[in-house]
Amino acid sequence: MSDNRLNVGRVLRAGTQGFVVGCEVLQPEIPKFGTFVRAEGVAPGSVIYGLIYNVSLEDDLFARHFIGADTPEEVVRDQRVNRQVPIEVSVLAVGCGDGETILHCLPPQPPVTLDWLTQCTDEEVRTFTSRLDYFQLILGARQVPIDELLVASVRNAAAARAENEGETFLVDAGRELARLLAGDPLRLEGLLRRLRVD
Amino acid sequence: VTLELSRLAEQMREMGQELATREEEVANLIAQARQWLTQYADQGEKLRHPAREFHAAIPTDEPLDAVHPLPAVPERFTFIAADGAEIQPDSHELAYYYLINVGAMVYRHGSGQTPEAHSRPTIGYTEDDLYDHDQLVSGNLLDIKRDLAEITCLADHCAAESPDATTVAVVDGTLILWTLRDTPPAYQRAKALDYVRQLDRIREAGTAVASFISRPRRGEVMRLLHLADEGGEVKQANEKPNSLRHLPDYAVFEMLSPGARSALFVSPSSINHEHYAPAHKVHFFYLNVAAEKSAPAIARIEVPAWIAEDSSRLDLVHGAIVAQARITGDYPYALVRADELAFISGPEREAFDDMVVSSLIRAGVHTALSPKKFYKTLTRQGKRKFR
Repeated sequence: MSDNRLNVGRVLRAGTQGFVVGCEVLQPEIPKFGTFVRAEGVAPGSVIYGLIYNVSLEDDLFARHFIGADTPEEVVRDQRVNRQVPIEVSVLAVGCGDGETILHCLPPQPPVTLDWLTQCTDEEVRTFTSRLDYFQLILGARQVPIDELLVASVRNAAAARAENEGETFLVDAGRELARLLAGDPLRLEGLLRRLRVD
Repeated sequence: VTLELSRLAEQMREMGQELATREEEVANLIAQARQWLTQYADQGEKLRHPAREFHAAIPTDEPLDAVHPLPAVPERFTFIAADGAEIQPDSHELAYYYLINVGAMVYRHGSGQTPEAHSRPTIGYTEDDLYDHDQLVSGNLLDIKRDLAEITCLADHCAAESPDATTVAVVDGTLILWTLRDTPPAYQRAKALDYVRQLDRIREAGTAVASFISRPRRGEVMRLLHLADEGGEVKQANEKPNSLRHLPDYAVFEMLSPGARSALFVSPSSINHEHYAPAHKVHFFYLNVAAEKSAPAIARIEVPAWIAEDSSRLDLVHGAIVAQARITGDYPYALVRADELAFISGPEREAFDDMVVSSLIRAGVHTALSPKKFYKTLTRQGKRKFR
């Protein structure tokens, strides 16, 4: 568990359903698929919550020039550290808050261009996932790998809790999924298998 | 109305045919030039004085056809590159200003370290910025400011290096402020002095310096060969048509083996001779920077006299540039990156324009685009197809 808030990147494009942020360098912890993130809303004190559902590195003709060649270490480091490697992180909006209450719904307004997107602290993740209504937003999303995102977000939310609380959370999450996917037992079974604690 | 590519198809076909026809003619001229290069190789001393008068490459003590193979390159050395870009002032814009952006890279060969990437943007907007010796800064005058900004940036980075380090500093383009040619003599003197001061700083820092010109179109060596064939007689050379006049020097030096350089010559530029101190008199040579078994990639390298006359520093410049070029294949890596760091992209230009608008509004300045610029912004975004 960690309580440090980490910057993921700055907002490039945004809509109420989600947004894309740009970041320069891939780091070991961020950006990571299924991570809970937050951005400031336009209204003072408001917050938009989201889940990272895609991390992509765009093609770059100059970097491609060095693939397969006997490239010096200095060049590799320059390409990775100095060049504006266009890493795009796509985020699904799953909730918003006004500083006091958190709602699991689409935000009324998207964040503003170049706003920072930060990783939620463990406490924020615990607070946000004290209810599981956001599952419906993921299940209703079209552009995301739904089942993978559900599993990753639930596992991340469990990891933000103490060990025994995490296990309880997994059971609660499984029950909620069973309720939402009662008409699709095969899919439900697949999800529950992936949530199972060994 | 958009560009009608269909109307160009026939001209394109004719262009291809013309170039193919000219190839044989050019090959004959190259053969002729190479023969003269060998034939008059030892006439450097005789040609030196008339070459200056004839604006031809001025021979040094080296035979004209000298070829110097790739020297040994130190395992560890620092290569500093700089390049610049600018936004020209535009009277149709919201305000009259210019922007110069200099990109620089400090690359430490053999260190395994991340190279340092720098960019240094400057806006010119005060009366002092916009008028230099009472002349409005734009076009060539802005090019001169950019050249000065590049060499100053290079000198600053050289000064920051340890004096014990083996360092080569390279600027993209020429060391000669050619664009001064059409300016008043006092202006020429002042600007050349500013430039030479930066070369002095680089020299004091113990760094070798050069400039790199990729596929240059200059024909100064061809003029020298024509002069040589006319017995070094300037009057005769002026009167008789020069069969090599359209042949660029680099085409003749494509016979250099990979990594090899040509003889050294002195640039005949009047700016070089009238305004550069003897120690900084610009020399040049041609260099094949291509890798072994690759097609030739000829560059013109310019160096001041204090490098040309120091064989160990000259070898360092020679070897370092080839080592850098072989990272990409045929162009110094750090120069590619310096250009990238300096380049002002379309979106960056738009963001910069937005910043200008915001700062003007914040300062209470009410202004507008000229009508011409305004309508261009309407028609050039999402240009419609013809008919």
